[in-house]
Amino acid sequence: MTPSKAAPPTSGTCALHLLHVGSMDARLIGLSIERHWTRAVHLVDTLEEAHVVLVDCDRPGIETALERLAGNPRIGIVYYAFHPRDHASRFHPRPVLGKPLNLESLPLTLAQARADASRLIAAAPPRAPTARQPPPHPHTAPHQPPPMPPAPQGHSLMGEDERDFCGAMDDIPAAQGGALPDKLFFDPDDYLVGRLHKALAQAGASGRPHVIAGLQRLIGIQSRPQPVCVTAFRENQLRPLAMTQLPEATGRIVSTPIIDDATNSLVHFAAEDFLWNAAAWAARGRLPSGTNPYLPVRLRAWPNFTSACVSPHALRIAALWTRVPASPVDIATRLGIPHRYVFSVYSAAHFANLLDTSFQPEQTAAASPPAPPMPERQARPSILSRILRKLRDAV
Amino acid sequence: MRSERARHNKIIFSGTVGAGKSTAINALSDIPTVSTEAVASDDTARLKRTTTVAMDYGVLNLPSGEKVMLYGTPGQERFSFMWDILSEGGIGLILLINNANTAPLKDLEGYLAAFKQFISGTAVAIGVTHMDRAPEPALDAYRSHLIALGITPLPAVFRADARKREDVAMLVKALLYTLNPGLSDA
Repeated sequence: MTPSKAAPPTSGTCALHLLHVGSMDARLIGLSIERHWTRAVHLVDTLEEAHVVLVDCDRPGIETALERLAGNPRIGIVYYAFHPRDHASRFHPRPVLGKPLNLESLPLTLAQARADASRLIAAAPPRAPTARQPPPHPHTAPHQPPPMPPAPQGHSLMGEDERDFCGAMDDIPAAQGGALPDKLFFDPDDYLVGRLHKALAQAGASGRPHVIAGLQRLIGIQSRPQPVCVTAFRENQLRPLAMTQLPEATGRIVSTPIIDDATNSLVHFAAEDFLWNAAAWAARGRLPSGTNPYLPVRLRAWPNFTSACVSPHALRIAALWTRVPASPVDIATRLGIPHRYVFSVYSAAHFANLLDTSFQPEQTAAASPPAPPMPERQARPSILSRILRKLRDAV
Repeated sequence: MRSERARHNKIIFSGTVGAGKSTAINALSDIPTVSTEAVASDDTARLKRTTTVAMDYGVLNLPSGEKVMLYGTPGQERFSFMWDILSEGGIGLILLINNANTAPLKDLEGYLAAFKQFISGTAVAIGVTHMDRAPEPALDAYRSHLIALGITPLPAVFRADARKREDVAMLVKALLYTLNPGLSDA
């Protein structure tokens, strides 16, 4: 085994290796380091250079990652998972963080893990985290881990794991009463979508274009003749940006006389689609702070699903929610799906200005008989379901 | 609403001349589409060289061996007598509106009126094409117009590129979920 070449753990920035991390998380963490943590953390390409590694417990192939770590006991390990308690005993005393990762506190956790690793080394002989260490062959070069495949760039949104899109939060009580968990909510002001929402409002009020200043690339908003967002970000860059919490000083909203596209590199999006996507990516199955998930609302229109991202069950939710006002919890109950999928659509619709509260109480789902047919219970799916199945891979 | 059993397995594509009906069917069909196009002889000739004078026909082959027929109606109004015949027993309507036409909202209104009876027993999903070169009216204008026409529940209205299979498939999926939000594709 190759011994760790990491620098002494008490000096310099923390060398972080993303050992077993999804491409989306890798981009998020990379952006955060680039922007905010350059004095505390730097990314390294190989395990041998690392002080600390990150490991996503929910990704397939974790055993291979653990085998690689078995030869590097000096390296600090930070695990993370949707259900950290399920993994805590297995990886004790290493920390297992919950998803979504709190990027504000991650540098501190990494530094702590680095320090803990050095203490573990001092206190005990090296030991494998969990997996059996493969015996070194006496006549071969030290074990070199197989190269990790490059993270896919520009993968399809629909190909993402549902949990990556909508989190894994448990349902809330079906009826109102008692406090709701804080993790159910997100503050839009912490994310790109909050900036966009304000910029769109300011552009509409003033009639002048606005830009979100301080980002790596341009994002501008024009309210006339149609509300549009223009950006030099590629889509595969936008999603991690939208998922990242932005510091207060980043992303100031600035009025501008014109959005200059001298290089002809800007892509135009309908503002409704752009905000829908930014909100869905930020929400990850949560609700904007201040939302009452038991209050009936209605989708005033279907989102433009040829551009707006389609989270799990979003089409079914839109089909039902354009028919009948209902609370997010009611919609989930009627469709028989976890609440988080409806919360994701609610958040996106809120910022895309597609929610409607102007209806009579008697129109609500609670007051009306069940409008849509219930989910199928037939032994053989209907012809409509069979067509859907055929089309599933077409989008 | 008729039961699914009573319907034929066919989806109707209709809409204005040049909206992309033939292209959309071609994008989705598992067979080369059968098209009865001819050199346009009326005002249509200004918009496109050939146009559908009878119908387009494509097929979705389902894994079970069944077929779903995709019928495209002729765009020219003088062939509108065929619309009722073609749509008889259909699952629903995909309506394509060419946003580059001079009065696309009037076009929408006209087609919804023509298919009113069919839609009332089934459903419609609307694709607005050519928005890249004719961005107005925007989708919100279509929605407002549908509300003004008293169309409820509000159907899906998507910006669509008829050449893209994923756009056409998304319209069909919206149509199917409109018919039954409880559907499962699993």
